[in-house]
Amino acid sequence: MKINMKINNKPVTIDVDPMKRLLDILREDLHLTGAKESCGEGECGSCTILLDGNPVTSCILNAIHAENREILTVEGIAQTKAGKLLIDCFDETNAVQCGFCFPGFMVSSYHYLMYDGEPNLDKIKHALAGNICRCTGYQKIFRSLYLACERWQKR
Amino acid sequence: MKFLKPNNLTELFSSLPEISGKKYFLAGGTDINVQIKNGLIPEGTIIYINHLPELNGIRQDENEIFIGALTTYRELLNSNIIKKHLPFLIHSLKNFASPLLTTMSTLGGNIANGSPTNDVSPPLLVLEAELELISQNDSRRIPFQDFYLGYKKFALKENELIKGIWIKQNAAKGYQTFYKKVGSRKTLTIAKVSVAGLKRIDHGQITKIKIAVGSLNEYPRRLFQLENFLIGKDLDTLLEYDISEILKKEITPISDLRSEKEYRFQVCLNLITKFLSLNFVG
Amino acid sequence: MSSVRKIDAIGKLDGSRQFLDDYSYPDMLHGYIYYSQKDHAIIKSISFPKNFDFSQFVIVFAKDIPGKNIVPEPEQDQLFLAVYEATYYGQPIMGIAHKDKNILQQFVKGIKVEYDELKATTDIKECLENEKNHFGRELTIDHHQESEIAPDWIRQKHVYYTPHQEQAYLEPQGMIAKYDPETKSMFIKGTCQCPYFVKDAVETILGKTVQEVVVETSEGIGGAFGGKEDFPNVIAGITALLSFKSGKAVKIVLDRSDDIQITTKRHPARIEIETFTDPETKEIKKLDIDYRLDAGAFQTLSPVVLSRGVLHSYGGYNIPDVFVQGRLMHSNTPPNGAFRGFGAPQAFSAIEAHIDRIAHKMNQDPYQFRKNNLLRKGDEFPTTQKITEDHLFDCLERAVEISSYQDKLKDFAFWNKKHDNKKGIGIAIGYHGGGYTGNGEKILNSEIKIVIEKDATVKIYVINTDMGQGAHTTLAQMFAEAIGHPFSKTIVQIPNTKKSPDSGPTVASRTIYIIGNLLKKTALALKKEIGFSSLEKYVKENPAEFPKEIHNHFKQDPMVIFDEETYQGIAYKDYSWGVCITEIFFHAETYQIELIKSWNVFDVGRVVNEKIAVGQAEGGILQGLGYGTTEFFYKPGFGRMHGFTDYAMPTTLDLPEMIVEFIHTDETLAKGLGEIPMNFPAASVRNAFHNATGIFIDEYPLTPENVFKNLKSTD
Repeated sequence: MKINMKINNKPVTIDVDPMKRLLDILREDLHLTGAKESCGEGECGSCTILLDGNPVTSCILNAIHAENREILTVEGIAQTKAGKLLIDCFDETNAVQCGFCFPGFMVSSYHYLMYDGEPNLDKIKHALAGNICRCTGYQKIFRSLYLACERWQKR
Repeated sequence: MKFLKPNNLTELFSSLPEISGKKYFLAGGTDINVQIKNGLIPEGTIIYINHLPELNGIRQDENEIFIGALTTYRELLNSNIIKKHLPFLIHSLKNFASPLLTTMSTLGGNIANGSPTNDVSPPLLVLEAELELISQNDSRRIPFQDFYLGYKKFALKENELIKGIWIKQNAAKGYQTFYKKVGSRKTLTIAKVSVAGLKRIDHGQITKIKIAVGSLNEYPRRLFQLENFLIGKDLDTLLEYDISEILKKEITPISDLRSEKEYRFQVCLNLITKFLSLNFVG
Repeated sequence: MSSVRKIDAIGKLDGSRQFLDDYSYPDMLHGYIYYSQKDHAIIKSISFPKNFDFSQFVIVFAKDIPGKNIVPEPEQDQLFLAVYEATYYGQPIMGIAHKDKNILQQFVKGIKVEYDELKATTDIKECLENEKNHFGRELTIDHHQESEIAPDWIRQKHVYYTPHQEQAYLEPQGMIAKYDPETKSMFIKGTCQCPYFVKDAVETILGKTVQEVVVETSEGIGGAFGGKEDFPNVIAGITALLSFKSGKAVKIVLDRSDDIQITTKRHPARIEIETFTDPETKEIKKLDIDYRLDAGAFQTLSPVVLSRGVLHSYGGYNIPDVFVQGRLMHSNTPPNGAFRGFGAPQAFSAIEAHIDRIAHKMNQDPYQFRKNNLLRKGDEFPTTQKITEDHLFDCLERAVEISSYQDKLKDFAFWNKKHDNKKGIGIAIGYHGGGYTGNGEKILNSEIKIVIEKDATVKIYVINTDMGQGAHTTLAQMFAEAIGHPFSKTIVQIPNTKKSPDSGPTVASRTIYIIGNLLKKTALALKKEIGFSSLEKYVKENPAEFPKEIHNHFKQDPMVIFDEETYQGIAYKDYSWGVCITEIFFHAETYQIELIKSWNVFDVGRVVNEKIAVGQAEGGILQGLGYGTTEFFYKPGFGRMHGFTDYAMPTTLDLPEMIVEFIHTDETLAKGLGEIPMNFPAASVRNAFHNATGIFIDEYPLTPENVFKNLKSTD
């Protein structure tokens, strides 16, 4: 089945099984390997992308769900102003450890920065509640996003 | 596995009788993809319905609110209509799954999956919601409390599906409300016990009360025997009654990898007791 | 320079850094490890689904192994592939590969295995009932004194249980094998901690049929925590076998539920402690410990975990008369392996719980009692090793101060009288020995290689991997700081067994403590030898001398002598010290423990990169808190545990505020940091729960169900 979608602001048409997992389409067909598979059941957030601006776990979505919709992956976010700011803040705090969950945290963080952006610890914790990290204990992740919110407001 | 994407409801209903074998409706996909991964859906036809506008949207008429089956949790939580009339529903579903799942998970999908642990049922039960069910030539409404017949057994006829949920605008008006979900952690968790409640106090007496529980039976349900017992009781002396005997008749918790039956029973009892002892204007 | 940014962070943030599953090769096949679905059974028959083109699949059984069907590291008793009998749920039976991942998955789902089930044990409590469930390995630390037990000494004897714990690294385990039939060489790319272990494993399973095996890690290693220390050997062996048979590249990446079911976990423990305490002086006079670990179906590296376990079992106390016996039990679970702490978290979960029991009996607060019995400078461990610093005492005093422990004890006692919900605060203390136990480092004889290029780039070749702990940043920093060279021109290379010498496994915090300090020493020696002020300038002025290659070996201090028979002597040259104090809130209606705040003070010697160190500590503390509260395996069936809702590790909403402080950071030596944060949080929560409710719970974790059971039994 032919499916049209927009990925990182570029229109894309792919001919695939409509039930193929969206994560596999990104990683295998489009070679966008930033989104990672960790749990494969929507429980960890490592494969998070934005679908029409909202964060979703792409491991439990199908190609058909992306039909005529806009997808933003971590690769696309990294090119934006806000994405660059986030990268700098996470880097500055040495928040990243193994990094496998971080593309997912980047996407959720970007969504928070764009749609709320208040430097508020409690809100940040809730915004990131679908993303699991095993290395960091989260505190540096909160601090990094908090820092990004402050700097984004001041820009 | 076959795949079908009807263009509209009419096309959907006309094609349904022609499909042989098992049929699976695909909405947000958050549950069915996990089942596929675990090999629980080896064959059959997947029918994509997530794009059908008839099943979508939140509307209100004079007395009622309609929530289309394909409404996502994110849409529900952000809906001004729901915020205005049914803040209790927002409060109850705030801890649903995770912010990432709210984008795609639909209310209809959650109901039709029929897991005894589903988060949406207890609040809908105490709000006395109704389900609108549609088929090729028919549309009917049934009380939500009559929808589940057993473990993953539904009051759905062949080729019938859930169109949406109807809730009275004033369903929670004037009631003290209560909701608690107990999981192994605060988010990304499946309920071990969940309790939803509405109660009305007049002159120190319970005049109306509705209690529903999840994860404690083969499907979520109202506790009618307990409610009947509690009506007319004085709030001051309420805690002197032992309600555990009645509760034993109405819930049948089990032990599994998530929790233990004795714990589930006691927590359910504790939460109901807490709900009863709270007295505030809701 | 102290908190330089990590060298690999940006690529991990923008998605460009490659983890194992991000690599692919032309004509690559996807592989799967098919494993036993029974805890213990005879494999009667295997039938494959019919409607597939069988010729397109590559399948390997034990009989296809050209070399030996024994995983070589560390204890030689684990099979790569089961033969006739499966001894645990998750034991690999065969490897299967196909070019299409989806067809492979469907094929695998259609495989039927007929089993004859045999008696199985998956719970350490059941293990004890049968002497057959004992691997026959015993360790004893005998520091008995001839003194008599005084009649007024208070005797206390209790048994403590700790659960399985899943490492739950976010990147599942995986390997890629690429066999070249022409040169008979096998290239392995993997996500692992110990590439030389993997090389040995592949050479063993393939035997003399291959000429050369090269192992390289992926750019990114998505977490390990010990879980990628020895199990990658099994995956690499099976992947290599598939590649060897097919002549094609093969990639195996485990699905999460498979990873949870078949790979190693933290050993469950049963620890029995008996003490005699003098009620007059409130001093512990005698301590007897029976420390038992459930090794699972095979011993693998359990003997080494047992060794570290017994050496940490007596805690940080000065007790004149100590006897410890350690034993390994056998069960039908996956072989338990390495996990951050390596036997020590179990040990401290028990001894620190017991100390609170004694303090309670002595009617002394847990802090005062600990201080009263603390291991101080000049005291001795039961192994006769002398304590040369008073840093445990300093950690304790500092943690008590910053947590307002004593004020909180009073405040909470008052508050708890009036409320059904309860507040509590608990302490746990101890140490962690750095590097390999005993003579291990002497035997390892680690080697490093440094190449200084013509443009003055310093390339560091070590086999130690950066699995997120920041090792490659910190190692480069240690060399660069010592020699006075720009950090940006000092680069640790991706570990590769053909290029990097064997600098030993990436375990036991030895990467910074042994290898980092060796790099530093090498840098200082080089500077002294050549006598330059700036390496860059020197290279420019003396181009003929470069590129220059330098090798160095770690030399253990000759004073470090440990007797492996009697367990007497210096078990670890340097110890890190730590204290964890945790505040909780107990919800009486749901029996849930909410974590409020956790104060952690450590002495790890010099802190090379403070931001990295704090991040490491915070991660370890949260793993420790999860270990104490929500993380466990459902004992009636390993096969029931599938993913991250079944295995509940903390989310962003479950953590307390964590405070981390390092003291004595002006020391010159950087000691071990990786494990120690994990050692005490579980016990601190358990002790805080006692402070809140007056109830001692001796079985971890403190799930609401467990708390409920204990409250009910004390009613």
